[in-house]
Amino acid sequence: MNSIHDMGGMHGLGPLDPSDDEIVFHAAWEGRTMALARAMMAGKHFNLDEYRYAMERIDPARYLQFSYYERWLEGTLNLLMEKGVITQQEFDAQLSKLSKADS
Amino acid sequence: MSSDASDGADAKTALRVRALESLLLEKGLIETDAIEELVDMFENRLGPWNGAKVVARAWTDPAFKQRLLQDGTAALAEMGFDTIQGEEMVIVENSPGVHNVIVCTLCSCFPWAVLGLPPVWYKSAPYRAEAARDPRGVLREFGTEIDGDTEVRVWDSNAELRYMVLPERPAGSDNMDAAALAELVTRDSMIGVSKVAPP
Amino acid sequence: MPVVDLELVKNLYKTPGAARLPVDVAPRFKAGDAVVARNINPPGHTRLPRYIRDKKGVIENDLGVFHLPDSRAAGTGDQAQHMYTVRFDAREVWGVEAPANDSLRITLWDDYMNPA
Repeated sequence: MNSIHDMGGMHGLGPLDPSDDEIVFHAAWEGRTMALARAMMAGKHFNLDEYRYAMERIDPARYLQFSYYERWLEGTLNLLMEKGVITQQEFDAQLSKLSKADS
Repeated sequence: MSSDASDGADAKTALRVRALESLLLEKGLIETDAIEELVDMFENRLGPWNGAKVVARAWTDPAFKQRLLQDGTAALAEMGFDTIQGEEMVIVENSPGVHNVIVCTLCSCFPWAVLGLPPVWYKSAPYRAEAARDPRGVLREFGTEIDGDTEVRVWDSNAELRYMVLPERPAGSDNMDAAALAELVTRDSMIGVSKVAPP
Repeated sequence: MPVVDLELVKNLYKTPGAARLPVDVAPRFKAGDAVVARNINPPGHTRLPRYIRDKKGVIENDLGVFHLPDSRAAGTGDQAQHMYTVRFDAREVWGVEAPANDSLRITLWDDYMNPA
């Protein structure tokens, strides 16, 4: 699809910052996100090509705003819901259960 | 994250990740030790020190170098470096007339098996956008100037093949052994945005 | 679907070359062939970026048989095709302002190219 992910050759996407060179996760959730996405592929809930396509379908404005791992999380959630592995209702219920437990 | 606003956003995202993980656990689709193993692999076991060992060996063992350039996947397996999801490795060699640089314009494909997770700049929109069209300009941002007679070769990593650059061995390193040489090799030199500096 | 446990995960990174398909398919091209990347604009997934469409290149080598990402992403089954490293002059892709010496290499599948 012709969307924002197809960036080769574009101008104006901001300055390059070579000093931004961390190689490990800046927060624990990033590592969990990557592991969960990999795990779902290993469990054959979706394949890598479907996963790339799920990230390409993220709204272009949000795609650019998201960090790399936010994109991974969004792609994973969207795909698991499309595939019926989880539902939005289940996810929302889980979120509110955890928020209540935290407060 | 530095500002309060981004801390708030980070906490919200962290909660979403916890919700997803706990939901998948409750459904019996994943086990926690499998997730921890994956995190540990990405965080602690994969990193550019692996690629540096490969480069140092190629510099000191001509037969290995030949195997590495011919079939990267097999030569890396020989050193105990397996790829992660079945992708293959292609090693491209820098020489006095050729400088290679790697990008993934469509997503952020990276040779995890030998370099670990990609740096933030590699995944960033400006690198993905500019590296294919203006590699010399991008290299300048890293302080790397490539002379006009040298061919700059961009590799856009769009398949289940991952590229690693075999940088040129720096001058003044003739007496160094593989272990000492590996210390000289930087991640950026194996992506091709810089050269290996002399010792 | 298998439960993702420790054993499954440990085996994940012991499968070098598993992306390759063990089937015999005739290649449409060979090293040295002049090709042109097709100008396709599918709404689905493709690994043929816009910047290379309609550009002329040369097959550098045949990498063997792999699945076409487009169909696997669409869930319409695997299409086994040859994949090639294809060389393009920087000037062909980016115009006269690109340095004459420079080049770009990208992987293209049989379906992504026509003979030039």
